[in-house]
Formats: sequence, C-alpha cells, structure tokens
Amino acid sequence: MTVLRLGGYSIRLRHRVLAAVLGSLAVLAAVAMWSAATGSTSLGLERVWDALLGQGTKGDEFILWTLRLPRLAAGLAVGACMGLAGALFQTLTRNPLGSPDLLGLTQGATTGALIAIIVTGASLQVTTILAAVGALATGLLIWTLTRGGDPSGYRLVLVGIGVSAILAGINGYLLTRTTIIDAFRAVYWLTGDLSGRDFRQAAAVGIVLAAGLVVIAFLHRGLDSLRLGEAAATGLGVRVGATRVTALVTASVLTAGAVAVAGPLAFVALAAPHIAARLTGSARSLLCSALVGALIVTAADMIAVAGVGDRQLPTGVVTGVVGGAYLIWLLIANRKKGILS
Amino acid sequence: MTASPLAAREATLGYGRHVISEGLTVDVPEGEFTVIMGPNACGKSTLLKALARMLKPSHGTVLLDGKDIHHQPTRAVARRLGLLPQSPIAPDGITVADLVARGRYPHQGILRQWSAEDERVVAEAMDATDIADLASRGVDELSGGQRQRVWIAMVLAQQTPLLLLDEPTTYLDITHQIEVLDLCAKLHREGRTLVAVLHDLNQAARYATHLIAMRDGAVVAEGAPADIVTAETVQEVFDLPCRIIDDPESGTPLVIPRALAAAPR
Repeated sequence: MTVLRLGGYSIRLRHRVLAAVLGSLAVLAAVAMWSAATGSTSLGLERVWDALLGQGTKGDEFILWTLRLPRLAAGLAVGACMGLAGALFQTLTRNPLGSPDLLGLTQGATTGALIAIIVTGASLQVTTILAAVGALATGLLIWTLTRGGDPSGYRLVLVGIGVSAILAGINGYLLTRTTIIDAFRAVYWLTGDLSGRDFRQAAAVGIVLAAGLVVIAFLHRGLDSLRLGEAAATGLGVRVGATRVTALVTASVLTAGAVAVAGPLAFVALAAPHIAARLTGSARSLLCSALVGALIVTAADMIAVAGVGDRQLPTGVVTGVVGGAYLIWLLIANRKKGILS
Repeated sequence: MTASPLAAREATLGYGRHVISEGLTVDVPEGEFTVIMGPNACGKSTLLKALARMLKPSHGTVLLDGKDIHHQPTRAVARRLGLLPQSPIAPDGITVADLVARGRYPHQGILRQWSAEDERVVAEAMDATDIADLASRGVDELSGGQRQRVWIAMVLAQQTPLLLLDEPTTYLDITHQIEVLDLCAKLHREGRTLVAVLHDLNQAARYATHLIAMRDGAVVAEGAPADIVTAETVQEVFDLPCRIIDDPESGTPLVIPRALAAAPR
C-alpha cells in the first residue's frame, strides 16, 4: 500500500493494482507499437518512428496516418469503453455475467444497425448513428422498467434478459426482410470489425471514453460502497439511487459509442472485468478493466489483420477467441484463489 | 426527558401499500443504549430502517437533530449516524483493513481519498473492536463473531455519535453474541448513543438502558428495563406467561417463560 499526499489531495494505491495498471499499460504500448509496425506491409519500428515524426516516406506516412493509426486509436478507445461498460454492468447487476450482451444493449444496437442497413443500404455513417441510438434507447428502456422496484441486481438482469429476447426476435425478423447482399452486410456488422475506421470515428469514441472516465472518477467510490449492499451503502452516505442511475447511463453511453463504431465485438465487455480482477486481485479496478478491454481489442485486431492465410478476419471473430482463451487460461492458472466476481 | 437526537414523529411506515406502523412516535434518548424488541413482524426492524433513513415514512417525519432526516444531505447524515445493517455483503477477497476503511466514505471526497486522519481513525476503530491483529486477513476467512466485529469497526470508522444496529447478534453462537453485546455496551459507556434491534428478551433486558417494546407496529411500552420488563408487559407483547426474577449475574430482570400448556407426563 502506497499513500500519496499533497496538500489537500490524498490517495491510497494498492501495490498489486498499481502493478497491474502499469503492467497492462506497458503491454498495451508494446502491442500498439507492434500493431503499427506490422500488417500487409511490414514497416518495422524504425520506419514507424520516422513516419510518426514526419520524416518517413510519403507511402509510409500514408500507411501509418491514414490506415493504421486511426484503426489503432479506434480499437483502443472501443476496447476501453467496452471494458469499462462491462465492469459497470457487473457491479450494477451484482452478477459476474452482467454485460451489455446479457442486458440487451447489444441487441438494441443491432436493431438500430439493421434498420440502417435495410433503409439506407449500409451507409456506415447512418449505421453508426442508429446503432448508438439503439443501444441508448435500450439502456433507457431498461432503466424505465426497473425504476422504483426492488433495487437489487436481479431485477435489472431479468428485465435485461426480457428486453434482450424481444430485440433478438425483432432482429431475426429484420434479417428475414433483407436482400441477400444486405443480409451479408448485416452479418458482417454483427461480427464486429474495425477495418476502414478513420480518425473521426476514433475521436467520437475517444470523446465518449473521456466523458465516461470523468464521470467514473466521481462515481467509483460510491460504486465501491454499493458492493457492500444497498443498506450499508445508504448508511455510509452514498446516494444509492443516483449512483445506480448514473452508472447505468454511463455504461449505456460507453456501450453505445463502442458498438456504434466497431459493432458488437464479442466477449470484450464480459471478459475484461474478470481478467482485470484476476490481475489486480480485487474485483473493483475499473481503470484496469478499461486497459484490459483496450488490450484485448488491440491484440485481437492485430491478429485479425494478420488473418488466416492471405485473408483478413473481422476483428470480432478474434476478440471472442483471444479473450475467451485468456480468461480460461487465467481461471485454470489461479484455480485456487477463487476471485471471480 | 433528555434531548432526543433522533426521533420519529407520527410516522406511517410500510412497504408499498402494506402499512406496518401508523402514526408512530418514538424518541431515541441521547446517551442511552436503546433496544427495540418485540415478536417477529412487530415492526422493530422497520422502525430501525426508518430511523436510519433507509425507509421514507409515507406520512410523518423522522427527525435527526430536530430536522427532517430526508431533507439533509445523506453524507452529512452519515457523519452523525452510523448503521450496521442486518446482512451487509463483504466483497470477495476484501481484507479487514480495507473493509474498515470503507467507513471513511462520508469524510472523503474526490481529492481527499486517504488522509492521515482517515488512517488514524481506521486504526483506532480496529483497536476498539480488538481486530487490529486481523488487519491483513481476508474477511471471508474469519469466524462469524470476528466478522461482526469488523463490520462494527467499519461503522465506528464513520465517527458518528449515533450508532444503529439491526439485529447484530443474529446467526452468532452464544459466546459471540455476548462478545458483540459487551462491545456495544463498551461503546455506549464511551459516550455514544446506540439503538439496536435484538431478538433475545433477556439480552435486551441485560444490556439496554432504554427499552422500546413493540407489537403490531405500535409501541407498547418504553422505559428502563427494570421498569418495563414485567410479567404483564411480556404477556402483552409476546403472549407469553412468565415469571421475572433478578438475573444473578447482572441484577437485571430475567424472564423465565412458563409452560404454555401442561406438559404431558
């Protein structure tokens, strides 16, 4: 435990959490560099560095600034948003499976995207906007339906599962109404992918992420207390209702931003908090969860670009495989410690 | 009567449309160890929840220092009044010191997250509850009695003059029940005002300095245990015929139940 105090400012840092955060950051930086350097044209770190500083060739600078960095930035922001959203949903539902997928936000985004694909024939801009609207509307719907009732996580989970089932039905119906080409585009969107993302999209998710981090800076101590149960949190002076609503809205916005840009990348929101909990030894590092989310997406996207044979894969194919494999490995490796939720 | 830091005035309490108490007026006397007792479903925990602002009265008010508790910032209330709920949840893997440190929440802010004062108060709370040597242990490895002391330490770290405890001895074996009640008595002697809901009538009579007996959502009797623990009151509150003798250990009233029906021989 390290304590930092400076004037009126004071904070307590657990060594293991600090190590996990710094470690994830270092690995993330390495993966990001590697990812910028490799791909269909291998640049190598030196040429990446030159191109970054504006001293590279025109071709190198084009590859780096137009093709790779926007995609990398989008991947980092999307992953961080999903990791944070997953951690928030797991805290809110008191359920290790609490995630945007379980609660129907992903399905809501899909409904928005499918409508966009059918109506506009897959304009990326409209798809992005309607997907975000779909996720947000679902978050709002869940909040409305759980308001005023039993405030435990169960209600949120059950309402979410109900909403999710309805939306899955609607999505199935929408898919049957498409042409075969639109259906293919829809399935591609459903897998989730980062190819062709530009800086505008990366910036949009980046702003969502920054806003989410600011809210969480104010919220995280209250959320921490909420883990002791509603009664104990009330006793400690936490505004339980307001904290829960703010967390739900924040998680919905983070999900909406991420899914809108990258599609529903499988498993990131679910796996990142668990991996972060394993790394930090406690189930409450939101920051570490964001870093792990960014790491999963960036690493998965690098693998996706390398592809199988000479074909690139959609990013979403790899996130599930990479995230799932890493989670299972961690569970087996730390079988005895028993920290899951 | 002494001044009352915490009181219910004409409070109607219930869950949704289900009313438990109507027009309940109760004063928590300053500096006393008040115990609320009564049979199951008499509304004693509901009253405690209302006093702890977890339940808002549909009519009437709960007053903290003479002002409506729901009109005061909840963090400010948390610096006046600490609550040990019936079944708080210890997050997986949390250590004793970390859990006790959570009690500092109402004194902290986004900038001030762990001051020297926080550190000192947490150490004091752990000393007072005799858990200092458990500080780095995981809460989930502890016995029920130790765990209850950790939760009490967390509430103590809030540094409140008022402590509310909802059935603090439930699920504990008899030794740990006495240990927790002795600790409560010590906290009372040190000058805090305590309110606890207890199940065991004899423990209530022994440890309380002020008793509130409830039945069907209403207060039947209140006062010093020696005055109100009588055969008549016990009959009225619990429907239990009994004799009252002096507890040979503490001199407080001791309730000896009579057989409800002639035992078959």
